[in-house]
Amino acid sequence: MADKSSNDPVAIWQHMIGEMEKGFNSFANQAMASPEFSKVVNQVGGVSAGAQKQLGDLMEKYLVGMNLPSRAQMVGMAERLQSIEGQLNEIKAMLHQMQSNSGAQGGNPAASRPPRTRRPPAAGGEPK
Amino acid sequence: MNAAAGLDLLSIPDRIQSEVQRAIQRSIKGVEYIASSGPSLGSTPKDILSVRGTMNLYHYRPVADEIYRVPILIVMATTNRGYILDMVPGQSFIEFLLKRGYDVYMLDWSAPKPEEKSLRMEDYVLDFIPDCIRQAQRDSGETDVTVIGYCFGGVLSLLYGSIFNDGPMKNLICFTTPVDFREMKLFQNFADRRYFDVDRLVDSVGNVPPEMILSSFEMLRPASRAASQVQLWENIWNDEYVKSYRMFDRWATDTLPLAGEYFRTITKDLMWDNKLYNDAMSVGGRKADISRITVPILHAVAEHDHIVPYDAAKPLIQKIGSTDKEEVMLKGGHVSLVAGANAIKRLWPKLDSWLGERST
Repeated sequence: MADKSSNDPVAIWQHMIGEMEKGFNSFANQAMASPEFSKVVNQVGGVSAGAQKQLGDLMEKYLVGMNLPSRAQMVGMAERLQSIEGQLNEIKAMLHQMQSNSGAQGGNPAASRPPRTRRPPAAGGEPK
Repeated sequence: MNAAAGLDLLSIPDRIQSEVQRAIQRSIKGVEYIASSGPSLGSTPKDILSVRGTMNLYHYRPVADEIYRVPILIVMATTNRGYILDMVPGQSFIEFLLKRGYDVYMLDWSAPKPEEKSLRMEDYVLDFIPDCIRQAQRDSGETDVTVIGYCFGGVLSLLYGSIFNDGPMKNLICFTTPVDFREMKLFQNFADRRYFDVDRLVDSVGNVPPEMILSSFEMLRPASRAASQVQLWENIWNDEYVKSYRMFDRWATDTLPLAGEYFRTITKDLMWDNKLYNDAMSVGGRKADISRITVPILHAVAEHDHIVPYDAAKPLIQKIGSTDKEEVMLKGGHVSLVAGANAIKRLWPKLDSWLGERST
């Protein structure tokens, strides 16, 4: 009896996609392993990184002229927000610490945790 | 059945009906997909013990009545977010560890800010990791700590362990950790020193942008993104498939920038000079020779890892100084080794059985 999936159009389609993916990846990997590829990609990448920087500087001047916030200013705002978030996290951590300490003796957070006495399971699956 | 063609003619009407239903479902679910956000990731309850620039230290709240004596510190790769190890309930490595009675800390990274472009390898190996170890020791009340490093987190853990080889690291577990960078052939070619001017790149952009990191990963399998989108459309009627696709896709594209100076060192010392493999690596003037590590070590590698090929990871166990050492090769790829159905079945139980007896 023939394999049912060999005549299933959906299975054939899925198989074809899988094979195409493998084939293309393998072909591209071979091409990308050549020194020529590295040379071209790095030339293009280098030029584009330099151009991006120049464009960024130009845009910065333009935005200042238009009285609009620049990317650097927005990043600065984001950093301030991150810093506020960081401080909130610290306050949260301190509160948690205080909460743990209030239930534990000597201010040791470990004291309020489960005991560290666990043993690995024996062969039967239960802890030793 | 048409024996000659091997075609079951009677099943054709059922098949057509099923395909029509799926086509309808695809249209409905396709709209839902666009309109809704993905599942909430990284939601295992945790406390943030410390946030310092790019460094974040979490402590996950224990869930077992009794926990192992030795806590775990997970060191995440600097290119990606730690929630790959804490996807959703039932598919979270962290949740698995907590339920098995481990006390878990994680050193996770946020995007370095522009002024953090000067962070060097020394900051990661001699400052961030030791600081997190100290905080885990203080918080847990224990001296010993097990370190788990994923991918480049494994490299950082190896560097840390080889410098601080007299403790307090008790066990080391590495997932897909490269040691011989010559064997990362495509990355080697992308970073060919004849054509890749790392100094010009870092000096012009500061931190290496996440788009660049992401494209270098995606270039390793250039057809896979398009193929995965075709597969998503085919399976969009299947809620479980879509949930899994969204989780992994979100994580994979949530790449972090790399601090410029740190990237410069990775390129020059590891990619170009292969110093870790050649026993010539030093960090902040301190020799980092992995043969000095003598603690028990487990190295888990993936059979189909396209990011860290086996030949790049293989020398770890050969070169390490430990006598209690094991390499385990499991089915799967670079990510499916640690997360998803494959990991639940293979890596997680293996890790638990190896680590449990070394955590008392």
